[in-house]
Amino acid sequence: MSERTILLYPDPILKTVCLKVKAVDREISAIIGDLVDTMRAGPGSVGVAAPQIGVTLRLCVVDVSKNRQGRENNHGLLALVNPEIIHRQGAAITREGCMSVPDYTGDVERATGITVLFLDEAGNPREIEASGFEAVAIQHEMDHLDGILFLDRIASLKTGLFRRKRYK
Amino acid sequence: MSECRKENLAHFAVTIIGKDRPGIVADVTEILYRLGGNVEDSSCTMLGGDFAMILIVSHPKPFVKTRLTEEFRALHATGLSVYVRSLHENEVCYRSPQGELCMVSVYGSDQPGIVYRVTRELADRGINITDLNTRLIGTKEEPVYVMMLEAALPEGLTIEDAEGLLEKLKKELKVEISVRVITPVSL
Repeated sequence: MSERTILLYPDPILKTVCLKVKAVDREISAIIGDLVDTMRAGPGSVGVAAPQIGVTLRLCVVDVSKNRQGRENNHGLLALVNPEIIHRQGAAITREGCMSVPDYTGDVERATGITVLFLDEAGNPREIEASGFEAVAIQHEMDHLDGILFLDRIASLKTGLFRRKRYK
Repeated sequence: MSECRKENLAHFAVTIIGKDRPGIVADVTEILYRLGGNVEDSSCTMLGGDFAMILIVSHPKPFVKTRLTEEFRALHATGLSVYVRSLHENEVCYRSPQGELCMVSVYGSDQPGIVYRVTRELADRGINITDLNTRLIGTKEEPVYVMMLEAALPEGLTIEDAEGLLEKLKKELKVEISVRVITPVSL
């Protein structure tokens, strides 16, 4: 297991739709290990998706348990293989940044609660309900698996608040 | 900005403002494009019935300010005011504020001094404003002033400290003030 280099946009891999993982075998376990190491090495990072380290497969890791915003509500370290969101509810805006797009942040609207179906690191199917910051992190990482960056989802310019017409 | 790699570029601060209409940005950037200049950071918005552009423009050296000023002269005829200033190296290679980022909302009945009193309070504590918007809303009879600002707190100052020091102003000016953390999350 080792820390891998985070690919930066405009690397085309970051805009690629990733392929489903066929089986959680040794090769996949090794990639999960690398993703975890890379996440731990990134300052304040709470998740890394496989394409960010150059692997175009549908898997990512998320761990918000050490983050101030996620500390109190999380599932610890999650390895999400072939994740699918089967239910989403609510909406909230978070100022997001991404290790693959340094020096830029933006307000993104995400569901506040999600139900996620995935295979864990042992290949077992799991279903979890995530909310709050953990839900934001999972949605951000899962977007990477479809070649979507947070830049594609910016909800408003910083001044968006002022751009609304007054309703009578 | 993670590193400075701009030795071979001349940098300028450009401010352009005039009555709003479609095409201002296109007219300005067409001139820059033809000149071989680049728009680096920029912020452009409607202010009242005007449109305002603030740009950091770069151009490969050698390049002088007068050239830019001359080229922009064509904009004057369309009613735009233009201001150009050369930037020093220490303005081009800078360090972004590092502290906790917070959003401050201030709103209430319009009165003189809202912007001044709030920002002076922040400045005296070394709180660095990174973005600020104000807008006069409400009715003629009851004008309401709204100010939204983002600011970076200096090392050692917490969001509670910032809230505390604005609390007094809130009472004195009889306006609503709220502060919340918006430090971006790295994902």
